[in-house]
Amino acid sequence: MIWAKEETLPRKELEMIQLEKLKKTVAYIYERVAPYRGKMDRAGVKPEDIQTLSDLRRLPFTYKKDFRDNYPMGLFAVDKKELVRFHASSGTTGKPTVVGYTKNDLEMWLGNVARIACMGGASAQDIVQLSFGYGTFTGALGLHGGLEKIGAAVIPMSSGNTKKQIMFLKDMGVTLLVATPSYALHLGEEIRKSGLDPETDLSVRIGLFGGEGMTEAMREEMHRIWGKDFLCTQNYGLSELCGPGVAGECQELCGMHINEDWFIPEIIDPKTEEVLPPGERGELVVTCLGKEALPLVRYRTGDMTRLFYEPCKCGRTTVRMENLSGRADDMLVIRGVNVFPTQIEEVLLSIEEIGPHYEILVERKNRLDVMTITVELIDDRLLDSYSKLSELEQRIKAGLKSQLGLATQIRLVAPYSLQRFEGKAKRIKDLRKDGL
Amino acid sequence: MKQISVFVENRPGSLMEVTSRLTEAEVNIRAVASFDTPEFGILRMVVDDPQKAKQELTRLGFVVRIYEVMGVELQDEKGNLNHMLSILADGQINVNYIYSFVIREQKAPVMVFSTDDMEKAKEILTKAGVKIVTDEEL
Repeated sequence: MIWAKEETLPRKELEMIQLEKLKKTVAYIYERVAPYRGKMDRAGVKPEDIQTLSDLRRLPFTYKKDFRDNYPMGLFAVDKKELVRFHASSGTTGKPTVVGYTKNDLEMWLGNVARIACMGGASAQDIVQLSFGYGTFTGALGLHGGLEKIGAAVIPMSSGNTKKQIMFLKDMGVTLLVATPSYALHLGEEIRKSGLDPETDLSVRIGLFGGEGMTEAMREEMHRIWGKDFLCTQNYGLSELCGPGVAGECQELCGMHINEDWFIPEIIDPKTEEVLPPGERGELVVTCLGKEALPLVRYRTGDMTRLFYEPCKCGRTTVRMENLSGRADDMLVIRGVNVFPTQIEEVLLSIEEIGPHYEILVERKNRLDVMTITVELIDDRLLDSYSKLSELEQRIKAGLKSQLGLATQIRLVAPYSLQRFEGKAKRIKDLRKDGL
Repeated sequence: MKQISVFVENRPGSLMEVTSRLTEAEVNIRAVASFDTPEFGILRMVVDDPQKAKQELTRLGFVVRIYEVMGVELQDEKGNLNHMLSILADGQINVNYIYSFVIREQKAPVMVFSTDDMEKAKEILTKAGVKIVTDEEL
């Protein structure tokens, strides 16, 4: 089922909608958001300069850094009394990235999520187990609202507690699972270990996955574990843009349809910042159309992908983005949580018993991401006893947990045992091949 | 008596790296003890020249610290270790860890232990007639 007629418009018509909304958005942000007005003034662009869609490239970019520089609400375009919701995601330096929504923004957001849910095969008949962590992250409440909008019944399960998850899946006759793909694999294996066969003993037939990329290898594994007829799709979003609902896979599985009447995507070369021709791989830049609380123009997502404009067999005409192929920056996605090495560095530098050098190792063990951080011990006073050393270990773990919201493994090594780098350090080893 | 403690990683060859450096520096190891956790360990040693050992190992990038520990001489007879430990227990002295000397050419065996209350341990052992060994006597 296709939720909105805007998903099937001829390109000409869609572009007319985009241009009209773009002009309004640019005038709106110029009038109401001082930091972006400053950028436009410095670039010598006025709202009235935007006359065609290709004028978009004359506008300055917005970066994640802009959120930090204007923390918490400096990029907001409305008065606080207009806001009805906040969300926040991990920032690059301690402070989270805070986003806000007006009543209309929520309506728009959840409408877009409803579209994505329909693309993935969801309907009013579905009973949904929502196994994203609730809280300030946009994933859980976004999918929650979107699925309710199409009439599905949602169990706000949250993440963790696998035993309870299995009990609900079985007892409630759950038909649709929302989770990160790696958690879905883990959960599926636990179900098999418990003696149940998801294919015959459960009713789960749809998976809507997000929070991290799903590779084709993971999708195959998903079918092996959850059953050959399991319909699994992934979707894409960023809290800065609204959360989930930006793009999603339809059942043709040929890329994620972007809700183009709300988001204009561009692909740029992250080095030269030039817009690349359709079909080329580069960094995804997104302009949000019609957002009230937090309008965003040319937001640098950092995600590398390609765009395909040919209409899809599913009937939708919206552009499709390929599965993400890495990052333009060094951001890691660990168990669905965005992690910047600078966040880790900040915690490590605040602990004086260890040196400034570190290494991050990311592996997938038992289907779940495990991040191990190796640091050099430099303080000889800790050699007194193991309890002092393990107290240090616990202190590092606790610091990282509160900064990242993630559990990490710590490995203490002797000084000078980590590799030193001249120039750009390669501190990250990501061993998650094909995500399995 | 002085002990040096060295931070070592739990991987093949890490203890040998320490001992080979000490051999090169012509430092003799008198007693050695190592305890491991899954990740790392502390190698504790009594050597004939703790300052030199620390200097050399630190220069080579090890984390090293010198600690004061208690060395006591035992008669090589049944029940003597138990006897010494019961003296400490009676005196409410907590032993953090204990290990013994490797070889001691014809001399009586020496046990090395660590406690947070060195003064009191010394006092009650001396009172009980247990011989405390100093670095000079090794």
